[in-house]
Amino acid sequence: MKARGTLAAAVASAGILLAGWQAGTQAGGASTLASGSNTTTAGSTGSSGTGTSGAGSSGSGSSGSSGSSGSSGSSGSSGGSSSSGSSGSSGSASSGTATAGTYQGAAVQTRFGAVQVQITVASGKITDVTALHLTDDDRKSIQISNRAAPLLRTEVLAAQSADVQTISGATVTSNAYLTSLQAAIDAANL
Amino acid sequence: MRTQSLPAPPAHNSPVRPGPSLRSGSVTPPAQYSSGWFGRQRRQRLLRADLLTVIAWGSVAAAVALWLADGGVAGVSSVAAAFTAAGIVAGLAGMDLVLLMLLLAARIPYIDRTIGHDRALEFHRKLGKPSLYLLLAHGFLLAVGYGMAEGLDPVSESVSLWQQVPDMWLAFVSMALFIAVVVTSLVAVRRRFPYEFWYVVHLLTYAAVGTSLPHQFSVGGLFAEGTWQRWYWLAICIATGAALVYFRVLQPILATSRHQLTVSRVEVEAPGVINIFMAGRQLDRLAETGGRFFIWRFLAPGLWWHPHPFSLSAEPAVTGPDGEGTLRVTVGNLGAGSAQLVRLRKGTKVAIEGPYGLLSTAARTRKKVVMIGAGIGITPLRALLETTPFAPGDASVLLRGHTEQELYLSSEILDLCRSRGVRLFHLPGPRSRIRSSWLPQEAVRGGYGLTAFVPDVAESDVYVCGPAGWADSVISDVRQAGVPEEQIHHERFDW
Repeated sequence: MKARGTLAAAVASAGILLAGWQAGTQAGGASTLASGSNTTTAGSTGSSGTGTSGAGSSGSGSSGSSGSSGSSGSSGSSGGSSSSGSSGSSGSASSGTATAGTYQGAAVQTRFGAVQVQITVASGKITDVTALHLTDDDRKSIQISNRAAPLLRTEVLAAQSADVQTISGATVTSNAYLTSLQAAIDAANL
Repeated sequence: MRTQSLPAPPAHNSPVRPGPSLRSGSVTPPAQYSSGWFGRQRRQRLLRADLLTVIAWGSVAAAVALWLADGGVAGVSSVAAAFTAAGIVAGLAGMDLVLLMLLLAARIPYIDRTIGHDRALEFHRKLGKPSLYLLLAHGFLLAVGYGMAEGLDPVSESVSLWQQVPDMWLAFVSMALFIAVVVTSLVAVRRRFPYEFWYVVHLLTYAAVGTSLPHQFSVGGLFAEGTWQRWYWLAICIATGAALVYFRVLQPILATSRHQLTVSRVEVEAPGVINIFMAGRQLDRLAETGGRFFIWRFLAPGLWWHPHPFSLSAEPAVTGPDGEGTLRVTVGNLGAGSAQLVRLRKGTKVAIEGPYGLLSTAARTRKKVVMIGAGIGITPLRALLETTPFAPGDASVLLRGHTEQELYLSSEILDLCRSRGVRLFHLPGPRSRIRSSWLPQEAVRGGYGLTAFVPDVAESDVYVCGPAGWADSVISDVRQAGVPEEQIHHERFDW
């Protein structure tokens, strides 16, 4: 009789696990789909930028960023590696001084989600910092991100570098933010 | 046979004929207690036990399935992610075991009726270490996994988790509390401290669970707002908490106020053994609880905080129209706490929790019954003997003590055996040192074992009640005599 209970428990447990697995593979498919759509948005950003030629000229900032954004999109999905660095080199190749335009930093993975920022550069200065993606794995992370991002932006605009204090209580987000920012600054060759 | 000194004529193997009953009412089993009734009750109980097994294991599987359903496996793409994943799964399973432990200790009647209070606590204890190991693994694996993802060693990762992630410091506190609770419950450690110390530390379990909850819902992505996993987890946490509050707090308060028990008399039964009589109301609602135990608190200065688990040594005696009547417990081995009970004053209010335990008709699976008791363990059997249904000749009672005086309540038991047709054996004397240490030396030397006293033991329910070591010896002989496990009913009183 004990065997009957054990057997029933084993069968039920296996069934529950299987159902979970099944739901998981479907959800997994959905999440790959989501990341796929990510890639396409990144691609679209890249395509919006299109002209790699823009890198050379000082005028069309948006196109200058384009190449970098395309590659950073891929880096976003691969996680961590700064492929934007490559775009940075393309930027630096053009001239010694920073080119006006927008530059995306690497997507930095943290345990609370990816962080990626974009800077707008005009006449050799950072005029704006936009967060493309912030830690958003859960409610707490979103709260933290929403609090930290404006503060960081202000600090960065004031310091004109990634060498600023992290926000207390949001160190993970801050560090990732500043790492991504540094990559963008490197890309802009500031 | 010299070893069984029967104070009354009938020798064993010649069942006592029902004599003039000392008690009112019929003692032969009512018609509904046919052998089919016992078989049905047995099957239903086994079915309930199986169901509980399925629920317990299923809940662990469900905890893991929550993670699987969130696309857990697909996310394991690196070594760091593998550590993180293992950590999350360990945490889910560990918390699930903690909830199961709380439910096992919640004194839920369904569980008590199925496996008994003592076995529920036995399972509760068995889960203690595994759940702690899982929770420790949860912390360690996540520190390693998160650390690898960020290029930190596990220690600095833990520090940064403590400092920077909201609710995480609570989780660390919770871990420390869990360790304290489990360590003080280890047998070796527990023996060194008084019961009260263990009890207070054990209460910290609630703090441990409470401090662990915030991070489960805020830090983990699995239970983020809007997910069904969050609802499921909330539901099982709330259900467990509600069961605890209802069965461990509300029910006792209700029972106490319903029965309004007061001490009516304390009398000495034998040296070191007293009978406490309590008067109360609505005792008809406690019918058939003779033999089961309650947790008593005598609301007198210096006594009220001390819970005493005592069994009823007689079926509640109802005398009034609204269930007014008397309960009786027989208390032996008076320890430091219970020695004061001798001086209990008449009129002292009594708070109760219960009834608990399976030393009752609810455990019966066969129409024949054997009761084997030693020392103070005899007294709940005395109550069971009064009410549990059997036909004359279908029951045997074996009483064991060092001396004839230690066969407590023996004259009452003799009367019951006479009126209900029960074979009764008195087995006093020093214990056997060769084998069957539960029997007197004389009996074993004379070649008498369990089956000599009860030839049909294999077809009977066997109730065993007495000190742990003695009971183990009885049970091993009972098993050897071919009694299936579900017919052995034993209640442990050493915790």
